[in-house]
Amino acid sequence: MKALGSSGWKGPVKFRMPTAENLVPIRLDIQSEGQRYKDAFTWNPSDPDNEVVVFAKRTVKDLKLPSAFITQIAQSIQSQLSDFRAYEGQDMYTGEKIIPIKLDLRVNHTLIKDQFLWDLNNFESDPEEFARTLCKDLGVEDPEVGPAVAFAIREQLYEIAIQSVASARESRLSKKGRRGSDHGSASKASGLSMDLVKLFSFKSSVVRKRKDLDVYEPVVDLLTSEEVDALEAREERHAR
Amino acid sequence: MAAKASDSGGSGEILPITPSLSETTSGVTAASQSTQPPSSTSDVDAVCVPSYSRWFSWTGIDDCEVRSLPEFFNSKSSSKNPKFYMYLRNSIIKQYRDDHPRKISFTDVRRTLVSDVVSIRRVFDFLEYWGLINHSSSSSAKPLKWDEKSAGDASSEPPTTVKETAKRICNGCKSICSVACFVCDKYELTLCARCYVRGNYRVGINSTEFKRVELSEESKKVWSEKETLQLMEAVMHYGDDWKKVATHVTGRTEKDCVSQFVKLPFGEQFVKESDSEDSLEAFDQIKGSADLESGGSDKEGSSPNKRMRLTPLADASNPIMAQAAFLSALAGTKVAEAAARAAVTALSDVDYEAEKNASGDPNRQEANGGEITNSKRAWADAKSLIQKEEQEVEGAIKEIVEVEMKKIRDRIVHFEKLDLEMERSRKQLEDMKNLLFTDQLNIFFHTRKARKSEDRVDVQT
Repeated sequence: MKALGSSGWKGPVKFRMPTAENLVPIRLDIQSEGQRYKDAFTWNPSDPDNEVVVFAKRTVKDLKLPSAFITQIAQSIQSQLSDFRAYEGQDMYTGEKIIPIKLDLRVNHTLIKDQFLWDLNNFESDPEEFARTLCKDLGVEDPEVGPAVAFAIREQLYEIAIQSVASARESRLSKKGRRGSDHGSASKASGLSMDLVKLFSFKSSVVRKRKDLDVYEPVVDLLTSEEVDALEAREERHAR
Repeated sequence: MAAKASDSGGSGEILPITPSLSETTSGVTAASQSTQPPSSTSDVDAVCVPSYSRWFSWTGIDDCEVRSLPEFFNSKSSSKNPKFYMYLRNSIIKQYRDDHPRKISFTDVRRTLVSDVVSIRRVFDFLEYWGLINHSSSSSAKPLKWDEKSAGDASSEPPTTVKETAKRICNGCKSICSVACFVCDKYELTLCARCYVRGNYRVGINSTEFKRVELSEESKKVWSEKETLQLMEAVMHYGDDWKKVATHVTGRTEKDCVSQFVKLPFGEQFVKESDSEDSLEAFDQIKGSADLESGGSDKEGSSPNKRMRLTPLADASNPIMAQAAFLSALAGTKVAEAAARAAVTALSDVDYEAEKNASGDPNRQEANGGEITNSKRAWADAKSLIQKEEQEVEGAIKEIVEVEMKKIRDRIVHFEKLDLEMERSRKQLEDMKNLLFTDQLNIFFHTRKARKSEDRVDVQT
């Protein structure tokens, strides 16, 4: 088991989204001239920077927003992109992390609750593909749910990637030379990850415990308009 | 949406209507490849697809798509594959057709597709470009322009396709590399300066493995024949206005045009010769050859020198262009063409002479050189004299011919007059004959009467 534990260790990787496509989740929430614009989408950071303004102009034109939004949108996107890029040069340790990803989102009239495990080390993973398959399998009719799911997954992965950069920095500052075990402890300390060792040992089985079944089952709810309004009102109250 | 899109896209079937002149309906494409029968749709009116987008099919990918959106087909990333591209494309078109004829906006689309927004935008723009989305028959000139241009083209393409062969596109950010780019031969990557600096490449590559490649404009240095011809035409038309010349010559800047013009064979001539006498003589000879070619339409070859000094039109500040302007004014289009042809040959001769003359000056101190130059000069003079003689002879012959023609014309006139006279006298003769005849008749009647009365008298006595 010890061998299993240390063989999985990879050298520090340059920061990137641990997915096949290195896409950044961008969230926009801009209020100006009495109008509020909320949006969330994924952006490819390797696209040229002029795309940001093009996108902002397009969006403002399509949604008929006042043109003051263009600069604000562009700025917001740019700042989030530059934050992402700031992390890019740095190292991150991904370790043996299998993390649970939680979905709890409402898109128009559809409510989705779900939880599943995601392998952070799998750099070929594709949240978009997952989201598409999820919507197809659950028979979700609203086409806007797919992007929201993919975005939620990406956001969480991004968070965790940032944390792993921070932890890598800490461990580098504090370590004395022993790598494997130190690193292992660092990842365990994050609290969220599951220990592969425990999971795949011959004492436990891969089958999920019954108490966890409900948690890991996807739930899709279709809400009526009144319920939607009620929920929205509650959210706004919480926001304030 | 995802579920619907993954069906083979035939569920968005369209009823065909009578097509307008330059457009076909997508019913044609649907019928040709889809096996599903047209299901009942809510579309009352059909969707028009312009004829240059006839290649579109739900289940296939055409060459122009591969060319315009290479990011999906270069297998550089595992998720940007043709299948993904088809998902994006089919979803966008389906979404548009569901709500036809309302125009679909990019934001509508990007909210419903699971992908990064810039890829969606590229596919959306591509489809809108080719009229597969948001196309209306009475729309702007853009599609009509393509229709005209692509009239004869089987694989019609919009005029501004990505020129991958000519320019280098960065693998990282998909923009066109301008100044310099960095090439990694090991992994066949081309990055623009920005991406290289930002470290925007695959994880395994070291920055030292990149080579810097300067992008010189090699393709632009060589002037094709067509461009040279355009340049000459433009110079003849616009003369000094290099801006207009540059616009006339497609694809060259002002500087390029000027430098190329100067580099042309007779351009050199203009630049070299500072002696105006010689250049005037050169033009004389050009004119002479032009006259010979065109049959001497103008007989003003006698004193071009005088003319040159008198013409106020020519811009004295630029002697080269002044002379060019003068020539084009005098000669007219046909002659100018002929002159241009002859000028190249004549000027090469003159160039030779001018070189000799110019080189003759420093050589004059040498006796041998002096003799040679003198004889050369005499030869040149003689040649010009001969040419003048030829001109005069030609003129004389022309005059003679004219005179002869005039004579013949006069004779014909005279002859006609005589003819007229004859006619008149003949007529008179006829009249007289008639008169005579009537007289004869009268006499005859008279004699008869007289004889009858004579007989009667005889009988009475």
